[in-house]
Amino acid sequence: MTTTATAPPGITHEHGGTGSTAHRPRKSWAPYLFISPFYLLYVLFMLVPVGVSLWLSLTEWVGLGTPRWVGLRNYRLLATDISFHRALGNTAVFVLVAVCVVVPLALFIAQALNTRGLRVRDLWRTAYFVPIVVSPILVALVFGLIFDRQFGLANAVLRALFGTGGVDWLGDPGWARVSIALVMLWRWTGYLTVFFLAGLQNVPRELYEAAALDGAGRLRTFTTVTLPALKPVTAFVVVTSFIGAAQIFEEPYLLTGGGPAESTLSVTMFIYRAAFQRQQFGYAAAAAVVLFVLVFGLSRLFNRLLGIGRATS
Amino acid sequence: MTRARLPLYAFLVLLFVGFLAPLVWALSGSFKPRGEIFGYPPELVPDPFTLDNYRTLLTEQPFGRWFLMSTVVAVVATTVSVFVCALAGYGFAKFRFAGRRLLFNVMFSSLSIPFAVILVPLFVILVKTGLGSPWFALIVPWVAPAFGIFMMQQYIVQSIPDSVLEAARIDGASEFGIFRTIVLPLLRPSLGALAVWQFLQSYNSFLWPLVLVSDSSQYTLPLGLQTLFVSEQRQYDLVLAGAVLAVLPAVALFVVLRKQLLEGLSTGAVKG
Repeated sequence: MTTTATAPPGITHEHGGTGSTAHRPRKSWAPYLFISPFYLLYVLFMLVPVGVSLWLSLTEWVGLGTPRWVGLRNYRLLATDISFHRALGNTAVFVLVAVCVVVPLALFIAQALNTRGLRVRDLWRTAYFVPIVVSPILVALVFGLIFDRQFGLANAVLRALFGTGGVDWLGDPGWARVSIALVMLWRWTGYLTVFFLAGLQNVPRELYEAAALDGAGRLRTFTTVTLPALKPVTAFVVVTSFIGAAQIFEEPYLLTGGGPAESTLSVTMFIYRAAFQRQQFGYAAAAAVVLFVLVFGLSRLFNRLLGIGRATS
Repeated sequence: MTRARLPLYAFLVLLFVGFLAPLVWALSGSFKPRGEIFGYPPELVPDPFTLDNYRTLLTEQPFGRWFLMSTVVAVVATTVSVFVCALAGYGFAKFRFAGRRLLFNVMFSSLSIPFAVILVPLFVILVKTGLGSPWFALIVPWVAPAFGIFMMQQYIVQSIPDSVLEAARIDGASEFGIFRTIVLPLLRPSLGALAVWQFLQSYNSFLWPLVLVSDSSQYTLPLGLQTLFVSEQRQYDLVLAGAVLAVLPAVALFVVLRKQLLEGLSTGAVKG
């Protein structure tokens, strides 16, 4: 997402010659018709649900009958609910893993793939991307096999290499989080690499040549040429991974069920559990509103800090 | 290959193995009898090799129906959403109109609304209004992803010259006629990219079908496999075979159309 993301694209063309007539403001209903299907769906399936969520969060409701108005009680309960605190904490850990481990690793791999004259680049890029197109069910099944305490591949490999491999991957609270983080790493890194690689391929070669003439070393070149040029891509990747990790559900739900002892329970799982397993729809809605405020607020803040969606070009 | 490149290629090969090993492991496991899946030490090549998992799955479970459900839902959702995204992307890319900036920002910021926030209310609304049928609920709410509109908008700005549109207007073509006969054909590569991405999203989606679909005759693939796994006391054999079968079309689709998809995905984020 570049800085032109929200800049009217027309502006850049407008100082052109004869072709600019298309951009003269025309009194026409055509553009509104073109964007109307999106807004219809947006209002019905996004705005209305968010509104209903706000209202539901102020009620108590088991899914039948009429919701009973309880004011802010759900929020007060959330504030002292240890499970919800755990869910927030775990989700924060997953977000940190995504932003501070997965994203830098993806950049590192993209750097490697951007080496001039690299052979079979397409093969590497394709293979690294495959995990994201795989159904979450298969991901959960195969990592369930790999992380099995007694017979799993992970411990077998550890045993062969280091002579010790009794790690209780999915049964120990600390290791369970590590396991989820490893699955996230496996699923998301190659996907994000693609964005960084495209960004790197867009950096003008002259910039590197100039840096080389100035005698800049590899690290200097990286910090003074590569990173600034990658800022828009990095911003996009960071915000995308933040939003993705903040609503993580499939990995913990399918692999650990949120356990052991809620050590991998995420906020989305908390919401799912409250609504669809415990019939506490109002309570679930309140948790959802908290998540909404956190994710929407923070991602807007990131956007501002990183300069996405600003109309400078 | 020069010697200096050796560490680089070693690194890339290591990653290659790391990313593909779990998939190979799943494939290998799906050809092992139930008792051997957890055999120790782990064997990559199944011995004894068996097709029983696949045979039992295909004869005793409604795998075909799950597959059909997932595929039809994904194809319909993809077709509609590619059209809706192209329409809106074109509207934002090639017109200036009152409220454009605000409307674009509203669309763009919907990317930051987590799905979990609308999960509960959307479910309640659809069920209460009688629209909870999978054919409606698995498709219609998801056909206008902001990400797709943004991608289309970026692509249209870059690849469709205003002069072409203006010439058609002078010839008296209607606005929708221009979109259909000129814009859509020029957009083909990026429509392909968006279509693959949307298909995979729908085909692999799990949480929403899990919440919504209660009738087992309308299960999608992920849902059917998950239910089977639970009902088989978490035995891996059948489900592993099913999951491998489920993943094959997705991976094949990706590998065939990878160039379009990878370039299309990064277009929006990188250029502009």
